[in-house]
Amino acid sequence: MIPFLKVALTNLFSKPSTVKYPYVPVEAKPRYRGRIAYDGDKCVNCGMCVKVCSPGAINRIYKDTEDGQDITYEFDHTSCTFCGMCQDFCDEGAITLTTDYHMVATDPEDLIVRGVCHKVNPKGNISCNTDLCVYCTLCAKKCPSGAITVDRAAKTWTVNIGKCTKCGACIKTCPKKAVYFAEPKPQVVVCGDDCVYCTLCAKKCPEEAITVDRAAKTWSFDASKCVQCGKCVAACPKKTLSFADGE
Amino acid sequence: MFKKIIAASTAKSPWIYHINTGSCNGCDIELVAVLTPRYDAERFGFKLAGTPRHADIVVVSGPITSQSKDRLIRTLEQVPEPKVVVSIGSCPKSGNVFKGSYSVEAPLDKYCKVDVSIAGCTPKPEAIIEGLYKAAQILKEKREAMNK
Repeated sequence: MIPFLKVALTNLFSKPSTVKYPYVPVEAKPRYRGRIAYDGDKCVNCGMCVKVCSPGAINRIYKDTEDGQDITYEFDHTSCTFCGMCQDFCDEGAITLTTDYHMVATDPEDLIVRGVCHKVNPKGNISCNTDLCVYCTLCAKKCPSGAITVDRAAKTWTVNIGKCTKCGACIKTCPKKAVYFAEPKPQVVVCGDDCVYCTLCAKKCPEEAITVDRAAKTWSFDASKCVQCGKCVAACPKKTLSFADGE
Repeated sequence: MFKKIIAASTAKSPWIYHINTGSCNGCDIELVAVLTPRYDAERFGFKLAGTPRHADIVVVSGPITSQSKDRLIRTLEQVPEPKVVVSIGSCPKSGNVFKGSYSVEAPLDKYCKVDVSIAGCTPKPEAIIEGLYKAAQILKEKREAMNK
């Protein structure tokens, strides 16, 4: 009897346990998984998030631009399970599930988070069309890294690929429009001699372009599947993977 | 004058009817939690109604399974106008992970207009309070438009 009375009396004089929510704002716990925030600058468009999303809440829209592609990522919160897999699998840290839980909308558009990832098309090496070139040396003078050498007397035009930063200053300055970016060679991933066939690169590849057979000690690469995200190169513990010019 | 008293009192007591259309129970638990003394939605007059005929706000959870589809439509028809439909969680809006299944008939938008959608899987009780509060405001606007 006495313990009951004690509880009754303490409850009589204690404050109500109600959370006074709309009047007093409530913060979610630090690791709460709420509204998705997407950083397009960090994204490399590997597509891993799209692949691991079980309800298919992530959508990509491709749009061609002058120097590449604009990829709009759409995170549909009316489809999301807030499992956090996209965040866990994003090596670049472009996706974060914030603690913002205020996801109430009368218009479903308000529940879609959009972000744009810009992908620049790879540029080929600087080349010169010798039929048009008049060896004026303007390009060599304009080059900020001194990569171009033009010999007026010998009528030769050479470029040091190692020095060239592909800034395009020479192309802009050429009066004859003879300097141009060559068609870029397709980039392929090559595996060196140090390979231990650990299969890490194959596991990291979002497109399954790499197949490694541990028993047979073979490493194979499918260039048609590769999206050149560079995850395999970053993952290789022996640092033997690298990009190279393909066929 | 009598009408004014009714309008003032109904605005402060929006009754909820909750339909589970094959939900995993996550959203249902959170909705019930909202009505407990801890979150106490009854501060704003929300109260679970026993029958759809008494309800003002219909709260739908779950991905609308084929079995529950007919019952859902029948229940929605019984709710007197003006009514406000609230969807809780991802399931009623899209089907969530169950979308594409032969037995799932989401989204809810196919059967009625969804006035307020609360996202989350499951939404935090605070978010549900926010959604219900918004629903009550929409209900008030709808009732005023009807009475004009």
